[in-house]
Amino acid sequence: MENKLTFQLNNISMTFPGVKALNNVSFSAKQGEVLGLVGVNGAGKSTMMNILGGLLQPDKGSEIIINGEKVKIKNPRVAEDLGIAFIQQEVAAFETMNVYENVLASDFEKWRKKGSLFLNKKAMKVEVAKHLAALDCHIDVEAPTHSLTVGEKQMVQIARALSQGGQILLFDEPTASLSEHETQKLFEIINNLRSQGYIIFYISHYLDEIFKMCDSVVVLRDGQKTGEVPISEINKEKLVDMMIGHFIETAERKVARDKDDVILRVENITGVKYPKNISFDLHKGEILGVWGLLGSGRSELFNTLLGFDKMVEGKILLNQDGELEEIIQKNLYKHVGYLTEGRHYNGVFLDMTIAENITSSDLERFASKGIGILNNKKEKEESRKYMKQVNVKAVDENMIVSELSGGNQQKVIISKWMLKDPDILFMDEPTKGVDVGAKAEIQNLIFDRSEKGVSFVVVSSELEEIMNLCDRIIVIAEGKLVGEVNRDDFSTEALMAGIVK
Amino acid sequence: MAQDRIKLFGQSNIQLLGMLGAIVAMLLVLSFTVDNFMTWTNITNLLAQVAPIAFMATGITFVLITGGMDISGPAVMAASSVIAVAFMTSFEVTTGVHLVLGCIILLIAGGLFGLINGLAIAKLKMVPLVVTLSMMTVATGLATVLGGARGLPTIPSTYAHFFNKYTVIALLIFIPLVLDFILVGTLFGRKVYYVGNNEETARISGINTDNVVLMVYIICGVSAALAGIVNVAIISTARATMGSQSQILDVVSAAVIGGVSVHGGKGRVRDACLGAFLIVGVNNVMNMIGVSDYYTTLIKGSIIIFAMGISSFRIYYSSRKRV
Repeated sequence: MENKLTFQLNNISMTFPGVKALNNVSFSAKQGEVLGLVGVNGAGKSTMMNILGGLLQPDKGSEIIINGEKVKIKNPRVAEDLGIAFIQQEVAAFETMNVYENVLASDFEKWRKKGSLFLNKKAMKVEVAKHLAALDCHIDVEAPTHSLTVGEKQMVQIARALSQGGQILLFDEPTASLSEHETQKLFEIINNLRSQGYIIFYISHYLDEIFKMCDSVVVLRDGQKTGEVPISEINKEKLVDMMIGHFIETAERKVARDKDDVILRVENITGVKYPKNISFDLHKGEILGVWGLLGSGRSELFNTLLGFDKMVEGKILLNQDGELEEIIQKNLYKHVGYLTEGRHYNGVFLDMTIAENITSSDLERFASKGIGILNNKKEKEESRKYMKQVNVKAVDENMIVSELSGGNQQKVIISKWMLKDPDILFMDEPTKGVDVGAKAEIQNLIFDRSEKGVSFVVVSSELEEIMNLCDRIIVIAEGKLVGEVNRDDFSTEALMAGIVK
Repeated sequence: MAQDRIKLFGQSNIQLLGMLGAIVAMLLVLSFTVDNFMTWTNITNLLAQVAPIAFMATGITFVLITGGMDISGPAVMAASSVIAVAFMTSFEVTTGVHLVLGCIILLIAGGLFGLINGLAIAKLKMVPLVVTLSMMTVATGLATVLGGARGLPTIPSTYAHFFNKYTVIALLIFIPLVLDFILVGTLFGRKVYYVGNNEETARISGINTDNVVLMVYIICGVSAALAGIVNVAIISTARATMGSQSQILDVVSAAVIGGVSVHGGKGRVRDACLGAFLIVGVNNVMNMIGVSDYYTTLIKGSIIIFAMGISSFRIYYSSRKRV
């Protein structure tokens, strides 16, 4: 990098109708710095990123200064020209195009052959291969993008940012959907970029990553900056304290279960690809963990069991009135709740109100017999009750869900399943993309419910979380059941043993 | 309160107000340009003309809200009418009983066409536009074959006497009202919105989405049949050409002008029917002030694009506002 790169934000404010999303936030970054940006959901991180990316315009008086020059980021194109590049949370790619076309997607014009309508594909491929090699990433430039893993797609995105001459890179939750191995790879790349003098903004809910990767950290809370400190001068407790103002204790799991009371028995369940021949018992009030690496067939187990994927073979028995009886999946679903991994994909109705979302799990309850006239008043009352129980932060139950932060959307989904009050609740990554405060609250809710006799089956990629949460963990690898660990024997080694074998 | 003000002007209200404004403006234009427009006869005639389009717009509203599309409406209307009229005129003497039976057959036929559409789309996961486009051709073909070269005989005038314009206006008020209530106030209606907003989430929430989709196409078919009942009264017989393919443009534009989203999840029967009133009114205005047919389609097309532009712009604008 030839010139010395500096970046400064002065008094950034952003006002939405009725809300001040950012209030006079100032901070700066210098060449070769990885700056962590942390805060709970709704603290203003996304707003900040959107301002830098040119998607939002800050209030008057806000100043963005790059290399000593005051700039105005009117739109994403301007951001690009200024060397600001955004590596998004949900990896966006043109699925049907090749890798090299994706990397150079935003400046095809440059690669047009002189006086011709055609692109100079050869030169493009060479260029892209160069960028990918710089990232130590060996993807075939001609591979169709849909064949890549999530991690590889992210590499493509990074390559794209670099090819556009990006100097200031914004990473928004980059590891959220990466496997362990891919995460390590990403860290290497970020370290590499740091040494080359890029400025990197790193947003993550995983505080461990912040401590591992960042040089300093800026903390936001309710749109205000509550701290800007070098990472070496701070510890986790202090950081959480800055983020939420107080520290939320996660309850310890204390109750030992009565082992005889089996509520669900699964025998030899087999899907088209995964799962393969899995059997397990679930007891009343138990929290059962399902652990496995990404792609080990965890979600497929849920989907097959609950009837969303085809079940090739297997038997499901449910305890009804004290006796285990075989049950078909359609009827089983009446007794369970299913919190899925993809919040926006199949968790919420984004454009509907909180109340309409919450009651969707058991709407029949609010409908009259016969033609099914809905009782809106009762619907809203009940929704309010659950919003309060689960602590959903919103103006009222008529708010549109898309206006809520990710953590609150997750809480809406949890409220929804609590309203149904099922015997068994299946949860796939219940705290994914949720901040520390909400995370602790959700864990406490799970404990509380299980003490009231609800059984849980939980998938989580976070070892720490799953060990804290569960009474028992079954381990899955390549769709097969490879181990079972009781709470007393929980350890990383015990859980990994089955997988590595 | 700023919040309240946003609510009043946000969402559907602004569209509703705009539409009512446009209707008033249209009536004003009519009353100034046409001598003696504001007579009881003229107004009731206009309303009776609105009915078939309004019924079909009602049906397509359900379909559009689930994120689907049904362009077979007018063709289904014609085919069901031809089937029913063929039945009614197959007796030596057509009595009242035959007429009543004929109407029931008409409705059932419409429902069956809808059922076929729905099965193909919900169960076989075929693309709605392709399915209903094929159905449009099939239904038109069927109506042509059944109607025969010389056309069907006329039915007794008792039919037209019963479905006079006052009955039609009563139906025009009653049927959309009921269907609007079903959409907004009942369990089934809510499920329609759920499916339109996010079909995957609806499925995970335990809703049988296939059945909801199937149901909306049946409703769409039956409402096309209702339009058929009214149209049969007007011409006292039925023929394939009564459901000209360009009619679907009026039906879809009625719904779209009424603010029904073609992306699914949004809209109301009430607004679609007001849209129907507007589109039929515009047709009339241009007819009465002597605009050529060529320009009529041009203008109507522009209106649709304009209306869709407004709704897309609102989506774009509200997404810009989002945190």
